Amino acid sequence: MCGLNSLEIINNIISFLSQDYHYKKAPDVKRVKTIEEINQKIKDGDAVVVTASEMTRIVQENGAGEAAREVDVVTTGTFGAMCSSGAFFNFGHSDPPIKMSRTYLNGVEAYSGLAAVDAYLGATQPHRNPDIGLDYGGAHILEDLIRGKEVELVAEAYGTDCYPRTEVHTFLSLEDLNQAVMVNPRNCYQNYAAATNSTEETIYTYMGTLLPQMGNVSYSSAGKLSPLLNDPYFQTIGMGTRIFMCGSQGYILGEGTQHATEGERKNGVPIDSSGTLMLKGDMKKMDAEYVRGATMPKYGPTLYVGAGIPIPVLNEEIAQRTGISDQDISCNIYDYGVPRRSRPAVMETNYQELRTGKIEINGNEVQTSPLSSFKKALQVAEELKKWIDNGEFFLTSPVKSLPSSGCTVKPLQIKRPSIMVRDLKIKPVITARAEEAISGVARKMVDNNVNHLPVVDHADRLMGIVTSWDIAHAVAKDSRKLTEVMTKKVIVAMEDEPVELIARRIDKHEISGVPIVDRENRVKGMITAEDISRLICSQNNKEGGSK
Amino acid sequence: MKAWLNFSPTIVNKTVISDLIKNYDVTFNILKANITPKGGKMLIEISGSEAKEGIEYMEKEGIQLNPIKKVVKKDEEKCMDCGECISLCPVNAIKMDDDWTVELDNQKCIGCGFCTTSCPTKAIKIAD
Repeated sequence: MCGLNSLEIINNIISFLSQDYHYKKAPDVKRVKTIEEINQKIKDGDAVVVTASEMTRIVQENGAGEAAREVDVVTTGTFGAMCSSGAFFNFGHSDPPIKMSRTYLNGVEAYSGLAAVDAYLGATQPHRNPDIGLDYGGAHILEDLIRGKEVELVAEAYGTDCYPRTEVHTFLSLEDLNQAVMVNPRNCYQNYAAATNSTEETIYTYMGTLLPQMGNVSYSSAGKLSPLLNDPYFQTIGMGTRIFMCGSQGYILGEGTQHATEGERKNGVPIDSSGTLMLKGDMKKMDAEYVRGATMPKYGPTLYVGAGIPIPVLNEEIAQRTGISDQDISCNIYDYGVPRRSRPAVMETNYQELRTGKIEINGNEVQTSPLSSFKKALQVAEELKKWIDNGEFFLTSPVKSLPSSGCTVKPLQIKRPSIMVRDLKIKPVITARAEEAISGVARKMVDNNVNHLPVVDHADRLMGIVTSWDIAHAVAKDSRKLTEVMTKKVIVAMEDEPVELIARRIDKHEISGVPIVDRENRVKGMITAEDISRLICSQNNKEGGSK
Repeated sequence: MKAWLNFSPTIVNKTVISDLIKNYDVTFNILKANITPKGGKMLIEISGSEAKEGIEYMEKEGIQLNPIKKVVKKDEEKCMDCGECISLCPVNAIKMDDDWTVELDNQKCIGCGFCTTSCPTKAIKIAD
């Protein structure tokens, strides 16, 4: 150990001669420090470590140049729902041994199509008992194991000469496992959409519960604390980077799935979901304080992952980037009421605005909710800072940089395209006028052998719908007017919607059919559950025949 | 004051509440009610100059009254202070503190239960 190296000595001389020399004369982005130098400082207890939140203030007050000279490491943090998470387990061999082909932990299936006693448990896997279903899934087991709880292992196998056993039923805890390695294929999204819902009903999404008529907005990113927003071009974060992962020291395996680099940027950072990370950590060393199994209502289980990445402040540019504020990070609010791949953007906002708790959309004040915990994210950044301050955590140079260009996310092309509502063979539409007598409507239903009749005005615009049940009701109660018995809030199908969507809608609302309308709300036909089941049958027949 | 009113089957057909409002100077708000011929419960908020007398009247008429301090309870261990519940509250009874802790205001809470069903860790429960 030779103390100061030559670069540091030169820097010291320069700053002795002129306090501002380096900043004013050479505002370049070359290294003013190396990772080795920072690690030496950490070892000596001299490193200056601040959280990304503190760095924002430091850069605002002192400028990036001075910040680059003063600060050695910026710690970032996030604590959010990261669905693409899970863990590999090795259970060890029983006697006689088994080659597990179906494996359940506390009733949640883990994928065991790899070797004999290895399995991967995904965070979003629901419980196999439909009554428990979404309330307890893969993510909850990951948390339970980290908490030291015992879990039930049930495995089935087909039996081989070398692995004769065909079933296993036992209990185990984290310490009994040979390995329990959390490998999360997509974590730490670099920015993410905010969500709202323009429809007339509450919807339940991975972005939480969204109230009707844009009644609320939810957002997910930790903003200025978020790791990849502090290093938006992946100048320091890369493959092999040592990180804080759920209270343990973990590593970045590389870019995550759906890693994207070509999206629009503002102030250097993407305004939509962009880069991602694949992370790895040893569950045996994790702390339950920084990981949580959760369930998004009516959506499913997900894992809240606490992740923090240290960013070495090697130069002024890096200092500038880690100084980013919530105000400088924009994001779009999307309408999740549209259940399609491309959701329409409602407006652009930024995290400072979202964090105030309310936002104005189309002149209305709307409440906002974070989905990720900012308090926990701060705790992650603070804890990582403490580790570095205490000399327990050293920085790493990436083995390989993450791709910072040329990555886009391809959509899944469905080779057999979706059948659209308009492609269906729709029977000639039979409708009733609001002023028609109940008896006439009943006759119309019988003559045409239909159970649903859309009620329209003079221009064929939809006013309501009556079913044969409504007519029976009307007769029983001696109602005369069609408008008294018809359902006025009608669930409809549009011609340009895929039939799958209509099937889901019919199922969700527990109805038997919906009228098809055009953009002007004119009735074009009816689509019923029967039509859909017949369509599925004919498709299956076609496929069977072509073999 | 907020309270649960417990109705036994013998008094469900009495017009206690309307008599109360007619005869006493009380402000009375029904937050929740589930009363069938077999009895039931009602969550109310009562105030006004004769609230005390009004409560005595209800008890005299056979309604069992349980005052509550908390409409909802938050499990501090389970809550991770994400804030998902904040924008779902219809009466702005949930807010984020200066240190980013989620705080419930039981004064404002009407016990609608929207936060309890939407909480990712089921950390909020309606208090009994």
